[in-house]
Amino acid sequence: MSGALAEIGPYVEAFKRRGPKSEPGWLAARREGAMKRFAELGFPSRRQEAWRFTNLQSLQKASFPPAAEAAAIETAALASWRYPGEAHRLVLINGRFSPDHSAIGVLPKGVYLASTAQTLKERPDLLQSALRETDAIGGQPFVSLNAALFEDGFVLALEPGAALDKPVEIAHFGTGGQRSFHLRNLVLLGAGSRATLIESYAGAGDYWTNAAGVIDLGQGAALTHIKLQDESASAIHLAQNRIELGRDARYESFALTLGAKLSRHDSQARLEGEGAECHLDGAFLLRGQQEATNVTFADHAAPRGTTRELFKGVAEGSAHGAFLGTIAVRPNAQKTDAHMLNKNLLLSPRAAIDTKPELDILADDVKCGHGATVGDLDDEALFYLESRGLPAPEARQMLIAAFAADALDRIENQDLRAFLDVHVQRWLAGRES
Amino acid sequence: MLEIKNLHARIADGREILKGVDLEVKAGAVHAIMGPNGSGKSTLAGVLTGKPGYEVTQGQVLYQGSDLLALAPDARARAGVFLAFQYPVEIPGVNNMYFLRAALNATRKQRGEPELDAGQFLKAVRAKLKLLEIGEDLLQRGVNVGFSGGEKKRNEIFQMAMLEPKLAILDETDSGLDIDALQTVAKGINALRGPERAVLLITHYQRLLEHVVPDRIHVLAGGRIVKSGGKELAAELEKTGYAAFGDAA
Repeated sequence: MSGALAEIGPYVEAFKRRGPKSEPGWLAARREGAMKRFAELGFPSRRQEAWRFTNLQSLQKASFPPAAEAAAIETAALASWRYPGEAHRLVLINGRFSPDHSAIGVLPKGVYLASTAQTLKERPDLLQSALRETDAIGGQPFVSLNAALFEDGFVLALEPGAALDKPVEIAHFGTGGQRSFHLRNLVLLGAGSRATLIESYAGAGDYWTNAAGVIDLGQGAALTHIKLQDESASAIHLAQNRIELGRDARYESFALTLGAKLSRHDSQARLEGEGAECHLDGAFLLRGQQEATNVTFADHAAPRGTTRELFKGVAEGSAHGAFLGTIAVRPNAQKTDAHMLNKNLLLSPRAAIDTKPELDILADDVKCGHGATVGDLDDEALFYLESRGLPAPEARQMLIAAFAADALDRIENQDLRAFLDVHVQRWLAGRES
Repeated sequence: MLEIKNLHARIADGREILKGVDLEVKAGAVHAIMGPNGSGKSTLAGVLTGKPGYEVTQGQVLYQGSDLLALAPDARARAGVFLAFQYPVEIPGVNNMYFLRAALNATRKQRGEPELDAGQFLKAVRAKLKLLEIGEDLLQRGVNVGFSGGEKKRNEIFQMAMLEPKLAILDETDSGLDIDALQTVAKGINALRGPERAVLLITHYQRLLEHVVPDRIHVLAGGRIVKSGGKELAAELEKTGYAAFGDAA
């Protein structure tokens, strides 16, 4: 058996063993189709541009059969990642909805929030169209695998004009056992509706989280989306979100990458309506042998769209980070205003960060820019702090914290910012040097 | 307080900038170091405070009787040496208040004094802010971020007032200040004067010396002290300029 077949074999087998389920016929057909595509595509190779900087070895060396069932855990195990404010809370353990740990509470009128499995029973219509769209992403083997194997996830749907005052908190926890969890998520915001979404991923032991989501924002809808990836140090985390923005829709996101030995966060945004605004911000703080890639793609398909991106990376030890950002402007997307910046801090001679910001502009009346830096701490700033009596390690720590804080400052909501800051501070406190 | 003996120092490209500086500053005294551009004034400030990029090749600096150059920059600061920067560095993301409290507590810890909590610190801050006419809002920003030139210089003196150093080295603190700001800064410096402290004012112009009257003035030219005198030397320099010392290099 060739290497490629050996890699996908366990997943093809797992799909075969999955057996008949009480699912709608269209879904079974989709799963078949998705599995076929995964088998055709195989694992991505580093010869593919989009995967050039991502070392998938730890995923390829082992196999992670899909988790067969949910696991029971103590509430205390989830405490570290819990959003401290009020929220509609939906918890998934090993890729499955956990009613015991969830507290969805009373939802405002016009708001639907449930697990994906529950939605398949109650509102299959919501998923049917959304799944078709996800399948449209070409060349994404892990999204196809997800489409074939997913059992659960979450669905948040707001009717036009609906508003969520409290955030929706989706917390996923993996309990190891070398299993994979394929989460299928869906966020549908009707015209003029608004919501705040917090996603957290954490766990213990060895597992693979493979999340795929569709976020669809109708005319004038607004979503604030915070993601905390703090998976177990021996876990793998791959996530891809496809974001569609309608006319004057607004998407503000921040993705914080702290955990997992191998991770990839991929945001594919398409500004389909005129005047849409898309913020793709984030930070990755890496140490040890961590491998993390952040990918953003902002596709301006309509005039007067705005994109703002700031990703900041810190790597120490032998960690390797990568940022691949693309801003594409279609011929008709005049008056596009897009800017992307990736700034990185290397704290060890063995750490490495690859950065590849790209503009692909086919319209002539646009304002687009990008920038990228990779460097060490600023000597002059370091001396300034030391000259006031701060010992060198403390001064360095302060500057690293400031570097990360500068990224977090993109989050307007102070409660959300504070939530992520706790985890940034914990990372800083655990620094090696 | 400070004894500099035959100090030679060079910069990274090997050029010798200080070529045998001798200077003694006693506790309670304010000394001014004047001189033309490029004479080594800022190098002297950098060497005394441990700024990277300088190599001392000869000579000695004693601070309170012990070898100052053996200490790391932060240890010098905690021992009571303060540098007011000619160009204060902007540090986005490091909150002014947070930074200053950490700095003050590092020094207090070294002296065996209890650390200040947020409330005690704020009380101390407010008294000094008033003296330097700095708005409290400035302290909620990143260190020097978005400060005007004058605000940066006032912030240096404010930090000095908070840290209460024994030896304050002010590098061109007067440059770029309008007359009001100059008077405020001078007030801050004068407030620090005392029998236990010494001040080294590094300046190109005599302007500041009208407001902070020094006990001694030294002319640094070509990397050496070429002339020393009382406060009247400033007026003399104002008339004759540095041309007479220009060839000393």
